[in-house]
Amino acid sequence: MKTYLIEITLNGEKRKVEVTTRETLLDVLRNKLDATEVKNGCGKGDCGSCAVILDGKAVNSCLTLALQANGKEVVTLKGIGNEEKPHPLQKSFVEHGAIQCGFCTAGMVVSAKALLDQNPRPSRDEIREAISGNLCRCTGYKKIVDAIQDAALEGKS
Amino acid sequence: MPGKPKKETFSKSNYRIIGKPMPRHDARDKVFGKTKYAEDHAIPGMLYGKVLRSKYPAANILSIDTSNAERLPGVQAVITAKDIPNNENVTRFGQTHSVGGFEGLYRVLADKKVRFMGEAIALVAAETQDIAEKAIKLILVDYEAFSGVFDPAEAMKPGAYQVGESESNVICSYKVRKGDVGKGFSRSDVIVENTYRVPFQDHAYLEPESGVAWIDDDGVITLQVSTQVIEHFREIAEVLGLPHNKVRVIGTMIGGGFGGKEDITVETYLALLTWKTNRPVKLTYTREESILSHSKRHPYIMKYRTGATKDGKLIALEAELISDAGGYIYLSPWVLLYSTVGATGPYDIPHVKVDSHTVLTNNTFSSAYRGFGVPQVCFAYESQMDELASQLNLSPLEIRKKNYLQKGRALATGRVLDHYVAFPETAESALAALGEQSRSKSSAERIGRGIASSMTSYGRMVFLHDTSRSYVSIEMDGSVTVRCGVQDLGGGQASSLVQIAAEVLGVPMEDVRVYIADTALTPLAGTTTATRQLYMSGNATLKAAREVRKRILRKSAEMLEARPEDLELWDRKVVVKEAPDRIISLASVVKACASDGTQLYNVAQFNAPFRELIDFKTGQGQVFPDFTFGSHAAEVSVDIETGKIKILKLVACYDVGQAINPLSVEGQLEGGTVQGLGYALTEEIILDKGVTLTPSLSEYLVPTSLDVPDVQAIVLGSGDGVGPFGAKGIGEPSMVSIAPALANAVCDALGVRVFDLPLTPVKIVNALKKS
Amino acid sequence: MDEMEHLNPKDLEEVFRAIKETKGQAKFIAGCTNVIPNMRAGVISPELLIDLSGLEDLAHIREENGSIAIGALTTISEVAASGLIRNQSPILSSAAGSLGNPLTRNRATIGGNLADASPAADMAPPLLAMEASVHTERTGGRGRKISLDKFFIGPHQTVLEDDEIITQITFSKPKDPANGSYIKLGLRDSMAISVASVAVMLEMEGKVCRKGRVALGSVAPTPIRAYHTEQRLEQGEIDGNTVEECSAIVQKEIFPISDIRATDKYRNSITSVLLKRAILQVLDGGER
Repeated sequence: MKTYLIEITLNGEKRKVEVTTRETLLDVLRNKLDATEVKNGCGKGDCGSCAVILDGKAVNSCLTLALQANGKEVVTLKGIGNEEKPHPLQKSFVEHGAIQCGFCTAGMVVSAKALLDQNPRPSRDEIREAISGNLCRCTGYKKIVDAIQDAALEGKS
Repeated sequence: MPGKPKKETFSKSNYRIIGKPMPRHDARDKVFGKTKYAEDHAIPGMLYGKVLRSKYPAANILSIDTSNAERLPGVQAVITAKDIPNNENVTRFGQTHSVGGFEGLYRVLADKKVRFMGEAIALVAAETQDIAEKAIKLILVDYEAFSGVFDPAEAMKPGAYQVGESESNVICSYKVRKGDVGKGFSRSDVIVENTYRVPFQDHAYLEPESGVAWIDDDGVITLQVSTQVIEHFREIAEVLGLPHNKVRVIGTMIGGGFGGKEDITVETYLALLTWKTNRPVKLTYTREESILSHSKRHPYIMKYRTGATKDGKLIALEAELISDAGGYIYLSPWVLLYSTVGATGPYDIPHVKVDSHTVLTNNTFSSAYRGFGVPQVCFAYESQMDELASQLNLSPLEIRKKNYLQKGRALATGRVLDHYVAFPETAESALAALGEQSRSKSSAERIGRGIASSMTSYGRMVFLHDTSRSYVSIEMDGSVTVRCGVQDLGGGQASSLVQIAAEVLGVPMEDVRVYIADTALTPLAGTTTATRQLYMSGNATLKAAREVRKRILRKSAEMLEARPEDLELWDRKVVVKEAPDRIISLASVVKACASDGTQLYNVAQFNAPFRELIDFKTGQGQVFPDFTFGSHAAEVSVDIETGKIKILKLVACYDVGQAINPLSVEGQLEGGTVQGLGYALTEEIILDKGVTLTPSLSEYLVPTSLDVPDVQAIVLGSGDGVGPFGAKGIGEPSMVSIAPALANAVCDALGVRVFDLPLTPVKIVNALKKS
Repeated sequence: MDEMEHLNPKDLEEVFRAIKETKGQAKFIAGCTNVIPNMRAGVISPELLIDLSGLEDLAHIREENGSIAIGALTTISEVAASGLIRNQSPILSSAAGSLGNPLTRNRATIGGNLADASPAADMAPPLLAMEASVHTERTGGRGRKISLDKFFIGPHQTVLEDDEIITQITFSKPKDPANGSYIKLGLRDSMAISVASVAVMLEMEGKVCRKGRVALGSVAPTPIRAYHTEQRLEQGEIDGNTVEECSAIVQKEIFPISDIRATDKYRNSITSVLLKRAILQVLDGGER
């Protein structure tokens, strides 16, 4: 199978990787770049588990061909915050009990970050709209909305 | 009374951790992306597994030709039924006991016949996922297709297509008989008779089924897999013809279960492929494969006839339940039993006749799903209550208040309710929390309100002799280790144990490390099903922790020259309650114990109450340890021209006994309500002659954030549960009464009722047209 | 599929050079929100992907000579967020906000939505009601301007030739942009394929409708204009009777099917309901 060498900036770090024409950005992130925090829930854009920020916009990585990410910036959950420097969204999700099985969490935090980057003071309705491409089967969404609203109020996004 | 915690020296008034909204111990790893789910594991040299599935729902397999697949470069194994040491296994229900009557056939790969579309026929392991997928397409199966049977009522008739290999498609039937319904109906002033139908529901967990497997240095087949039941290791061993101790299952953090990962999913496939190839193997279902081939919630046809006096007292209830078991038995007999025992709801009814049947068809097999047969009957019995209320000119709350069971009263199965029954207050609170009725904003909009109450068991059926074990120890430096076989499906199963150990041993939660879900290394705690883990492993952990605490206090008493009952364990210290300046560190006590040989670990076993099997002829006897009682209230706005339903307000009010972690309890109530909302309004696996028309999450519609309001969760704590600290289970109960609450609200809005779920716009419009 | 090729042209000349030089079945791609699911389901197996997403010139929203011009590669999010679109075509803005979900909207393109030509394509009804045109380019410079109501010929079929791509969508600036209404009915409030959708644009002079445009989605093999309904609207003053009559006429212009989402009868009655509401909404001040 023919492969192409692409370069993406993953969470601030330049990474080079061989990809095929068929591989999606999700495939490459999980299988070749060790970014298993990006989840595969459905493979066709119905669930949002695979959401990443691509050149500043939150997208389904399963609906983006790896080749289309060439030269672009990709931010995943791990690029938003970590244990040494947690993002207010991450602290808020934990405090509010917004994480049960946790499988939707990576995608949710990504969508929430993309929202707060555009709109630092969203209303509850705007928050619900921003995460309307991320399915959650465990929480019923309420604590996720609470967590995002609280993180926004904290002001540092 | 077995299972009830003894009176403690630390009490509810000064719990430090129990009852507090603590962040879950697993939440941090999840929010930083560190938690490894099954699919996140990769082992050097691993192969990729793939399953070939049946093209037909009902067919004989005349031949399978795997030669082209075997020849494909990169393919390392192709397995069909003939290659499997024990392709068929009769599942005995219960952990170690064989319970007579129901033995379900588990078949790894279809052999001569397929019974549902998507049934597994062959397995492939190859060097890459692509090669595995190609290889699957090269396997040639010669089918002789039949028309099959897809309606359980049809499948019950003599002469119907035989789904399985035995005589009848009827797997089993139950009866409940109490009093004389004929007499009861003749005394009724009002009789309401209706047939209710509920559909296949998919668990639709975000994480598709997945696992990796390898053979370790000692020749042990080792699986790391997303499962609610690590104890399938026994069946896996039997399939392979290996001793039980040659199979190890390590359960990963599950990305959602809801009962869908309770039966064996990928485990036997993984074990076979690694056993055959001697290499590590990974196997993950696609979403479409998951929807196609894993278990579903049983569809039911429920004929209900309910009679009441003009004052609203229920006199007689007659119900016939038919459940669609799909192609294989799995847990259908138990689901049916739950429905049968629960068919009357939380009401005191003098005359009861219930007949229930579960039937094989060529649909996808049905098995465990949150609520386990109770959401179905709750939809029926709570709709009936409102129908009666409307005929009698009583409010829905009034009629329920006249009939709720109370502590000390018996179910129709003769079982006396021996714990507090939180009715009518859960219904009253839920309804009151709706506040002032909203006003419609247009002439096409109708507002309506509805309530529904439920009683749902927690803990497994008592004749299964359920047990759970947990190990608690204090390390040399005072840190705490818990080892417990509990499987964590996201409901905080592991975190609760951390809270319990921390509370009892007087340490902060961060000091407790919990190891879970490893059949080789953690004491077995039983399944994460039946809303049993808090009750069982929670109690086992409590018991083990208390024993360790006792030894700590005994040693501390010596060291502080006090009596153990005068001491308090708090914040890594032991202190004399009445003289707080007399204080020593936990670490120093631990050291003292170490030097004189006092062991500071304990493995405890908690036994659920054991009762005899019920009398299946009359349905009399005790089936469950205890119940969780709760109610939902809903306010909806229905557009009478489009049939679209908008949910304005939703309240869930449940008695959880004692909330171990209020955040987790609210999370279960909010989440369970939304999963039930999906069941009520949009979710349906549509099968047409056994072929799914809803193959992905584009067609199978799970509620999004824009489809649900903020659920208000009101948590009551009677303290009267049989779980640790008086807790009850909430995982399943939380989803049971929401669908009928919505159906009742819609009926209130429209003045007409829809008798089947989901309440789609088409059905609403048709119901309005008819009236 | 193993040897599927992917080309990333930087400009239109490169695109057409590529088409000329390569053999085999080529698929134009941009946001991939339909293409990837279709490949996954085995509905298409292209041998060559010609990726248009590098053609930055084709992503724009601007005013040109009394028309609004939207480049084919403009994402649905960009359309939804555009102040110019909100002013000049609130119904298009509204439809853009209802397509898919925020994640897919950030990738899906307006050209892609039309080229995919689903009978439920969310962007089609408002563009039809705006009397939009599709501008194309083709090898040999044979690009053309196609009125959108002549563009769709069947489910997922358009008049586009194999070597033809959409470059731009235009519509004339309407006299009263606010005199429009767009209503989509889906089974969920996000990520919903429409069960039926209606877009209406009216040019009013007092109570008289000088020009009425009605477009419908998901009730025929393609998105369609309801010509008879439009004619009725243009017959003088609009009053209660007009609205009732239109809601009956429109039912005769559609060919709905029954599927897992709804029955044909339901789609029939819902089209009538949505049309009525859309017209009344316009008369009541329209979409803002």
